[in-house]
Amino acid sequence: MANHELSLAQPRPATGPDLAIVAGVQLGGAALLGAFLLGEKTAVVVALLAVMGAIFALLQLRPGLEERIVSAFRAQRRPALALGVGIVLAYPFFMQGSSYALHLLVIALLYSVLALALNFQLGSANIPNFATGASYGIGAYTSALLALNFGVSFWLTLPVAAVVATIFGFLLGFPSMRTRESYLALVTIAFGIVVHQLLNNFSWTGGPNGLVGIPAPTIFGHSFAQPIEVLGFRLPSQANFYYLSAALVALSILSAKRLHDSRVGLAWNALRADPLAARCQGIDVVWYKMLAFGVDAFLAAFAGTIYAFYVSYISPDNFTFLVSVTIMTMVIVGGMDNTLGVILGAFLLTLLPEKLRIFADYRLLFVGVIVILFLILRPQGLFPQRPRHYGGPQ
Amino acid sequence: MLEMERVNTSYGTVPMLREVSLRVGEGEMVCLLGPNGAGKSTTFNAICGLLRAESGQVRIAGRDVRDCGTEALASLGVGFVPEGRRLFPTLTVRENLRLAFDAARAPALEFAAQIEKMAQLFPRIRERLDQRSGTMSGGEQAMVALARALIGEPRLVVMDEPSLGLSPKLIDEYFQIVARIRDQGKAVLLIEQNAETALSIAERGYLLVRGRIALQGASADLLRDDTIRHMYL
Repeated sequence: MANHELSLAQPRPATGPDLAIVAGVQLGGAALLGAFLLGEKTAVVVALLAVMGAIFALLQLRPGLEERIVSAFRAQRRPALALGVGIVLAYPFFMQGSSYALHLLVIALLYSVLALALNFQLGSANIPNFATGASYGIGAYTSALLALNFGVSFWLTLPVAAVVATIFGFLLGFPSMRTRESYLALVTIAFGIVVHQLLNNFSWTGGPNGLVGIPAPTIFGHSFAQPIEVLGFRLPSQANFYYLSAALVALSILSAKRLHDSRVGLAWNALRADPLAARCQGIDVVWYKMLAFGVDAFLAAFAGTIYAFYVSYISPDNFTFLVSVTIMTMVIVGGMDNTLGVILGAFLLTLLPEKLRIFADYRLLFVGVIVILFLILRPQGLFPQRPRHYGGPQ
Repeated sequence: MLEMERVNTSYGTVPMLREVSLRVGEGEMVCLLGPNGAGKSTTFNAICGLLRAESGQVRIAGRDVRDCGTEALASLGVGFVPEGRRLFPTLTVRENLRLAFDAARAPALEFAAQIEKMAQLFPRIRERLDQRSGTMSGGEQAMVALARALIGEPRLVVMDEPSLGLSPKLIDEYFQIVARIRDQGKAVLLIEQNAETALSIAERGYLLVRGRIALQGASADLLRDDTIRHMYL
């Protein structure tokens, strides 16, 4: 930290290099991701992974480099944001019409939302919630049932599902308040299994067969099942959901940032550090923990709704305990309480197993090895928590 | 400001405090002395409501602690310095102070002005406002813990062994600041093992032995008392 503050205090070089660094990092990252998505040969994928590994090794060995990049982004916040939005908007046009690449992006974006949702709990408040997958499922089922049985529009089911999942989140939070750490984890695991079993056994949820034929959303007469045609370009129908998921990720990032920089984020960090001392500082521990459960469930349900309407078919097996574990791994690998890190973790852990299908039999082993390697080499995750600016000079 | 009336507590079946009564008046500085294991920290926990009294009452500013809960005490005008400081190590000094400032719910105060005031009282923390509190030395952390208790302008400050682990030179510096707090008219309950220093700045004192108040009186009398002289001086 001290280094970082020093580097900020020193006279800054002209903005030219800053802009170049920002553009280089963003375009380079986008190009790397694109090559990874479109790469079909395993050798290419492995080579790209090696490049990524080398980049992170370099960052690990030269912390100054990372600080330089961070300070460049800080100095050029607006251009960086504009370029980032531009890249996200233009991205599908560079996917060579590959619906598979777009599908992977949609799933990665939805998992980013889930990982960000869990990050409020695990990262900020250190609540080991293994039920994010269940909230995801509750959101998906609520909206699917509303759409199938009552013909409710997608746009209306979105908030309703979020509210329903939040209520369930609070319900889960309530018994969890009496427990801590490993016991709390057990309560959330039990909740996740109960939800999975109920979805599997109720007849009105379609039992193990799930729900089929969820209608695609429409906006201004444009159905999301149809391809997008702009300026002579023709994007596969997945692009609709790509933009929708990207918007949801943007919303999640915004709320993550607002919460992180507010008293709520501070209170979560405080009760993570020392719950008893936090109570002496006027922090209502029960309320803030419940709030973390609620926020997690709320965002997860948004992701669940989009997922349900995207694949148009959901079954209990989409929302198992393993999904929750995967989300938790994304947060740990990405970096607790760091928005960018968590998103990167979500992309990495969604895309890697897809791209390494050739090792399908060893996928779980592979994920396990990655987690262990991370805990040894970079326990703070790809990107560690950053200092905030609440109450201080901006 | 603070009244404990015949408070009994126990950990499971082991009784800790027995019929403990003590009082800290408005603007008064009182110390609670006692050897290890006498129940000093238990008393602190009972005062801040972290431990429930089985019988008896703890009242702060006229409110029963059991009814209003630990979380509400800061907004009633109480600042705590818990044993071992218990700062939030991953938060910066400024964030630690900000949490306490917000908890006091004092709309008349301004955070920037209060920070400035604390920086004047504790010159050591001025340059360290944006440093994570966990990376500071023990002495600096002690100062931050005290600043955290003071930043919301409380009417009562309760300190549990604040000088523990400080070097003799730092202890002097620390208690000079505590004396200044007393002079500002804040009520202070100082729970201490260091009897001589505590009695030299407090007006009155209580001696806690094996969960009971064994002795109480004005500091000057206690300093002359044989029991205390025998135990401490």
